[in-house]
Amino acid sequence: MKIIFALLIIVFLAFSGYHLTFRTFKLPLFAREFYLTGTEFLFLGFLLGPQFLNLLDMETLKGLEPVGALLLGWIGLLFGFQFEIARIRRFPLDFFKAAILESFLTFVLVFFGVYFALPLFFEIPEVKHIVLSLTLSAAAACTAQTGLALLAPDFTAQHQKTLGLLRYISSIDGLSALLIFGMVFFFRRPLFAGFSLIGDLALGTVFSLIISMGLVFLYIVFIASHRDESELALVVIAMAVLTSGVASILHFSPLVANFFVGFCLVNLCRRKERLFKILVGIEKPVYLLLLVFLGAYWKLDSLWLFALAALYCLYRFSGKLFGGFMVTRLNLELSSYPPHLGFGLLDQGGLPLAILFDFQQGISCDITASVISLVLLAVIYNEFLGPYLLVRLLKEGK
Amino acid sequence: MVEFYQSKKNLITYILTLFIVTLFALWLRNLDMESSWQRAGMINFSLGFVMLAAYMSAQILKIARLPLISGYIIVGIVAGPYVSGFLTDDMIARFGFINDIALSFIALTAGGALHLQFLKKRRKIIVLNILLLTLVVFGFVFMFFVFMGSHFSLTRNLSSIQIIAFAVLVGVVAVARSPSSAIAIISESRASGPFTETVLGVTVAMDVLIIILFTVALTVARIILGGSGMVNAQIFMAVSMEMAGSFFLGALLGKGISFYIDRIRHDLPLFLLFLAFGVSKISMWASSSMENYFDIHLHLEPLLICMSAGFTVQNFSKTGSYFMDSLDGISLPVYVLFFSLAGASLNFGALKLCWLLTLCLAVVRVAGIFCATWLAGTIAKDPPLYNRTAWMAYITQAGVAIGLAQMAEREFPGIGVYLTTVILALIFVNQVVGPVTFKAVLNLVGEAKIR
Repeated sequence: MKIIFALLIIVFLAFSGYHLTFRTFKLPLFAREFYLTGTEFLFLGFLLGPQFLNLLDMETLKGLEPVGALLLGWIGLLFGFQFEIARIRRFPLDFFKAAILESFLTFVLVFFGVYFALPLFFEIPEVKHIVLSLTLSAAAACTAQTGLALLAPDFTAQHQKTLGLLRYISSIDGLSALLIFGMVFFFRRPLFAGFSLIGDLALGTVFSLIISMGLVFLYIVFIASHRDESELALVVIAMAVLTSGVASILHFSPLVANFFVGFCLVNLCRRKERLFKILVGIEKPVYLLLLVFLGAYWKLDSLWLFALAALYCLYRFSGKLFGGFMVTRLNLELSSYPPHLGFGLLDQGGLPLAILFDFQQGISCDITASVISLVLLAVIYNEFLGPYLLVRLLKEGK
Repeated sequence: MVEFYQSKKNLITYILTLFIVTLFALWLRNLDMESSWQRAGMINFSLGFVMLAAYMSAQILKIARLPLISGYIIVGIVAGPYVSGFLTDDMIARFGFINDIALSFIALTAGGALHLQFLKKRRKIIVLNILLLTLVVFGFVFMFFVFMGSHFSLTRNLSSIQIIAFAVLVGVVAVARSPSSAIAIISESRASGPFTETVLGVTVAMDVLIIILFTVALTVARIILGGSGMVNAQIFMAVSMEMAGSFFLGALLGKGISFYIDRIRHDLPLFLLFLAFGVSKISMWASSSMENYFDIHLHLEPLLICMSAGFTVQNFSKTGSYFMDSLDGISLPVYVLFFSLAGASLNFGALKLCWLLTLCLAVVRVAGIFCATWLAGTIAKDPPLYNRTAWMAYITQAGVAIGLAQMAEREFPGIGVYLTTVILALIFVNQVVGPVTFKAVLNLVGEAKIR
């Protein structure tokens, strides 16, 4: 069975390689989004990982931990760079509120769904139970723009207004997800324990802010002088790894810490464009590597996971639909948008995968592998489902 | 004047930043690391810290016109287990795999930097250098050790037979060079021209040759020490097969890379990263097979494969310049990482144990290199400036020599410990001094573009 599965993956990867190599080769419609998001790299990681070829064995994965820290740092920084206040202000405030509300409602709905469903399938202690529910619901709250990017140009021209809102929401709604996910790390033992719970949290938060500001200052010192591109790349690589390391030592999330640094840099630093160029320059390779790493940790040891992932998708789908509906009904300014806005917010994209990877690195438990598999399956389901529902939303809106 | 003030300002900024980052690192290091996640975080932090510190130190040295890689190496030594202990042996071992990938990258660059046309033009001087460097350096070191070996405290207790075997092995290891250092300095100085091409050609070729020479030396040492008197043809056969196989595989990979650049082109650094990873992994597998079937341990194939791949892309396809530009774009992080870790692995303890013997050996080796390069240049009628200064380009030594010493230690436990100690100490000196002289000579012959 394992050999047959491995052969299927190899054939699939060969097909992917053929597609990459010979661009004139037309892909079937259902596979277009699949390739655009680089999902084949997930399967590549799966094939290379301990399940099959074992080239990325556990020892190697451990040795490559700094690369993992770099990936998390890079994605965190990039996400932080999306929150340039001056740029966000160009859009109506209602858009921002809509993005936060939609993502928060999705989070709440998925959190309760997952919280009550998880004990039916797994035996987990209470603290881990909350942590897992928070992680899964934070991952569910994020939205990607891949489906929007794939739309035909004439279709895009007809629905500019709705697509504008969808684009905005999908670029912003990861914020609440990420901040909620940051809370997961409060369940680790804080560095300054000994006061009251609130005292510990407050001290920890202040401390983490001071450290992050120190790191931002260090970045600014490095970027202040003129440096060529390779030097800047080195600085960003070293700083991303260093920030991730500091975060792990002090019990913060490396992803959130780097996000905060990125957010400060884009709003405080004068040479941010050059830095952003470096970050975006290898955005795709970073994302693909993340997929390979996660693929290596993928463990499909039970068929139940397929059903559980479908249930998780259902929760998310309900959350997005409800969130989208409430956004268009509660805010009069947005009432002209279609009520099924959530149909256009199903693609999950890279941030949930980064959240998942951060969780895998920082908070391991007995069912980590199953949780990873569950989310990866859900991402794939959503990638198939997303484009069709988006098209349906736009046709209905018309 | 403006340049002077800018340099002064930069110098102060780097020193202050380095100081602050170091203080922060020391504070973090003193925290209790309870969970494995924190320990993993410490490893990541250390790596980031060493990269930044290496970069800043290199910039400080650059103001003093010293090579950047000396800065990386010095930071590695200071952060390493023998000085501050910030990077522990365990951490260095864990970074080993990243190090291997970096080395594969450097080997790709080394192969890509060799132009067949240039090599053909400089064939005579390259062959002469290889021949004379091998014979003269080996001869000098061998003779020195045979006559003087018993006068040093470390090797005083060795019998005369053991000293001869020891001299054979040290002599061969002294011939080894460091292509990675050569490539890094050439790349940093943006050097090109007949002198640079000759040095690169000789260094890369000797890296291949040294494997054969060392296999011969091992057999000779075995005969001298009274082991099997038979020359084991199987071993030579296996080594030759492995090398031929590596070259062939490298050529195939090179064709694959040029096909990728032709057809796909985007994300080439990621593709090369996968390639380096694959080559390292497959080589490890091949290495363990060699050990199981032929009872020899060689871990040199990834370098040969990557060099051959780089050479094929550069000389047998039209994508050479794009390939080299891509490698150049990511070279700085790779060099910083690789040479800092190399510095951290340098054995300061070994140097303390046998510093006098090491200094004498280093001087004798340099004398041998000078004689060999002067003679080769004179016979080939190279410009006198080249002949007088070429020795400065051949001093660096690194990974291969360490690997050879460790092989010898496993083979001859009686003299192996002494051998490893002496060689590690010798590498320490050569790796600190070599880059400085190499950069200086590239400036002297006028082939460095950045001064």
